[in-house]
Amino acid sequence: MAHVVLKDLVKTYGSFKAVNNVSLTVNDGEFVALVGPSGCGKTTTLNLVAGLTPITSGDIVIGERLVNDLDPKDRDIAMVFQNYALYPQKSVYKNLAFPLQMRKLPRDEIDRKVKEAARVLDMTHLLERKPRELSGGQQQRVALGRALVRDPAVFLMDEPLSNLDAKLRVQMRSEIKRFHQDLKATIIYVTHDQLEAVTMADKMAVMNGGYLQQYDSPAQVFAHPVNMFVASFIGSPAMSLIPLEASTANGNTVLTSAEGWILELSQLNARKVQRATTKKVVLGARHSTIKLHKSAAPGAIPAKAYTVEPTGDVTFVQAFLSGAIVNISVSPNIAVAPDEQIWLEFDQERTHLFDGETEMALKAD
Amino acid sequence: MSTIAETASRGQTRRRSVDGWQWAGRVFLLFMLLYTALPMIWMLITSIKSGFAATQFPPQWWPDEPTLASYQKLLDPQNSVGQDFLRFFWNSLFVSTVTTILSVIVAVPAAYAFSRFSFPGRNFLFFAVLLRNMFPAVIFLVPLFILMRAIGLVNTHGSLVLTYLTFGLPLAIWLLKGFYDNIPVQLEQAARIDGATRFQAFILIVMPLSTPGIIATAIYSFIGAWNEYIYAYTFLSKNDQLTLPVGIQRFFSENTTDFPGLMAASFMMSVPVVVLFLVLQRYFVRALTEGAVKH
Amino acid sequence: MTIVTGKAEARRRLQPGWSGALRKIWEHRADYAYVLPAIVVMLIVIAYPIYYTVELSFFKTPPGLQLRDKSFIGFDNYTAILTSAVFWKVTWNTLIWTLGSTFIAFVLGFATALALHRDFIGRGVLRAILIIPWVISAVAASYIWKWIYHSDFGIIGAVLVGLGLADRPPNFIDNVSTVLPSLIVVNIWREFPFAMIMMMAGLQTVPDQLLRAARVDGASAWQRFWHVTFPHLRNVSVVTILLLAVANFNSFIIPWIMTGGGPSNASHIWITHIYELAFGRQRWGVASAYSVLLFLMLMTLGYFYVRALSGNDRKEGSA
Repeated sequence: MAHVVLKDLVKTYGSFKAVNNVSLTVNDGEFVALVGPSGCGKTTTLNLVAGLTPITSGDIVIGERLVNDLDPKDRDIAMVFQNYALYPQKSVYKNLAFPLQMRKLPRDEIDRKVKEAARVLDMTHLLERKPRELSGGQQQRVALGRALVRDPAVFLMDEPLSNLDAKLRVQMRSEIKRFHQDLKATIIYVTHDQLEAVTMADKMAVMNGGYLQQYDSPAQVFAHPVNMFVASFIGSPAMSLIPLEASTANGNTVLTSAEGWILELSQLNARKVQRATTKKVVLGARHSTIKLHKSAAPGAIPAKAYTVEPTGDVTFVQAFLSGAIVNISVSPNIAVAPDEQIWLEFDQERTHLFDGETEMALKAD
Repeated sequence: MSTIAETASRGQTRRRSVDGWQWAGRVFLLFMLLYTALPMIWMLITSIKSGFAATQFPPQWWPDEPTLASYQKLLDPQNSVGQDFLRFFWNSLFVSTVTTILSVIVAVPAAYAFSRFSFPGRNFLFFAVLLRNMFPAVIFLVPLFILMRAIGLVNTHGSLVLTYLTFGLPLAIWLLKGFYDNIPVQLEQAARIDGATRFQAFILIVMPLSTPGIIATAIYSFIGAWNEYIYAYTFLSKNDQLTLPVGIQRFFSENTTDFPGLMAASFMMSVPVVVLFLVLQRYFVRALTEGAVKH
Repeated sequence: MTIVTGKAEARRRLQPGWSGALRKIWEHRADYAYVLPAIVVMLIVIAYPIYYTVELSFFKTPPGLQLRDKSFIGFDNYTAILTSAVFWKVTWNTLIWTLGSTFIAFVLGFATALALHRDFIGRGVLRAILIIPWVISAVAASYIWKWIYHSDFGIIGAVLVGLGLADRPPNFIDNVSTVLPSLIVVNIWREFPFAMIMMMAGLQTVPDQLLRAARVDGASAWQRFWHVTFPHLRNVSVVTILLLAVANFNSFIIPWIMTGGGPSNASHIWITHIYELAFGRQRWGVASAYSVLLFLMLMTLGYFYVRALSGNDRKEGSA
């Protein structure tokens, strides 16, 4: 196992910058998820690490080696692809044996390792089948096995679960996580599904438009998103972002809405707002940090329920505030009807404030 | 090539009253079948007539005395006609086979590169290759004849192989490129990460997967070379070098009335390509589907 | 991590302008190895002949291939061609031959493909039979039809006489007014299967969902064809028609073997005419000038051909 360092990584196609000065370090044994919407550069970044795409500039270090100009085969990596990329003309056994054959291992050792991998992944009975005779989940497991059998320094995974159905995806998610824990493997995992990243990764690198937005543990990213993009991308349902304007009332800093209502701020939040470069401030609140009142309450803002979505454990209510959709979760035993008048109270300890111009999170100091 | 969905939708239409379109289609198909098959049937019937029986008016719809004499004559190595015919046959087989093998060897890497790499000038080269299809043989005949004479290939099969190669290549490259486009690039990437070089990934993973395409390309090359006439007609003058299309023409311009012999020869000339086609037709048709009708 | 290399810097400095392009070519040098054999063969057998044809078209050439004795005469060959009556006759024939064969072969092929699209017993066998004419050699086809059209013992003539439609067997290919249509019938016989295969392949790509949706929306069979199937096949149709047109424009064997261009040039098309000028009458210069004109016309067609193909070639190669 080894660490991976990306330093000022750039990939351009003509004038299009697919990856823009990305720098990050993956420590030995760490599970890092590259996450972002499609086209954000995450898969390109992974291909740069794999050596499948030549880099434009920057450096990649795997272990202690600078691998910029090495062929994929010499980088000591294994990769799991979104469409599994199993060799269709080879049996499962031969698929697993292929990387070992390429390394010219003796036949009996290949046999031993393939059978070991098959045992670990519980697919000994599938060894003689062809990939097309396997279910999606089984194919996924073979792909994993082919990566595992080599004992590489780093595992690269490119959306490995996105072709599976929802139920299988949850199951495989825990299998991959288990796989990581057992092997203490260094894994770089690309996904567009923030839930996968949050649940599996030690650290997540949120990317957008070819730039690395934030690189931290899922808990940190969730609790302290650095900007509005990260705030809205991580968490489901998405964080509500309400555009407001800073002003003063009775000597206190408050936020006013174009709809006429005023939100008074805690001291900490007032300090944050004062640091904004503009009067435009965006209030961010996750669904669980907004309290719903069925009658007027001090500090609560009047709104109308728009849709009500019971999910069993919680009920999600959507409303409009200042033109933005606001998600609120309430206990299922609170009955809310569409178009009903409601009052919303923000938990000032847990709201986020963003600069309306730069879209960066506002800090108190 | 019917899909389940297709069959299902057919079931739905059947329930409606038999529509006019379906009948029109059947009548039309019958007409096309007659148009296609009758000339070939007449060829076969004529080939088993005697020379006398063939030149009767009104014609004998079925010969009074069917005979395989024409075939025996063509296949008899003792007879000078048979000697010539068998030699032409062998020449055609030789030229077509060599052309086919070389076509595949040259077209496979080229098609692969056009499908996978994005080197500068890729599109230009690809279309330059395809443009070859546009030009009639005649444009190249005179200069090629002079060129072949200069390098001493006139009256050799080498001149034909070289020319047929360029005939077949554009189509072969185009068809194969269609196949390679349909092989996921991730398979090669996986192989390269698994420790293969780019070349090994091509040989070990991509080549086996493109076998149907290679077979189709090979049939195209073979049939094209087997049926080619104009270059063979121009480049070859020695009797013992002629290929079948030219040989038969030379041969029967001397015996213009031997229609049963001519029909028997036409039939024998068609047998190898028709058999090849019938046996491998699924590849043949699939190549066109994947090469030409990508969606 | 303090691994710093000068390499990336060097790479950046090399980027712009010509050196950038050269570097790109150099970086991809291994890729060219794959296409090199194809390119070399093409160069020898295509580029050189084209150059040579153009050169020869400006020369007066003696008969026989003693081309050392040629003399430069500028555009004389071209003016000679464009002012000759034969040229316009042959051009007219070529036009009828190409358009007639292409159009009818395409329509027949398309119709057959549609009729074969529905599954029925024996469909596979029928399809195989229908394709055979395309597979067998044009030389064989020419002889078969020459025999069918034969003025004394031809079967068509015999049938017409037998039905009382003619007093004696008509002379199809020795008659100025019937020879070209008769040859076109043979050409279509050989070519409609190609259109059929292409359109069958195209039909398979028509999404079944769309057809079902149209049926739910109450579209009749004809409306489904016109609004769903046909628009979907536009690209395939264009490619098929262009390929047929090019093949027909370039055909040689059928007219050459069946009539040799006769009677009195009634079935001469460009290609057979050029061939006769060059190898029959040994007028290499004029034949070359003809070829150049042909070449220019084909380049025009070729422009559309490439456009149609590149429309079909949206997939980008990746590496």
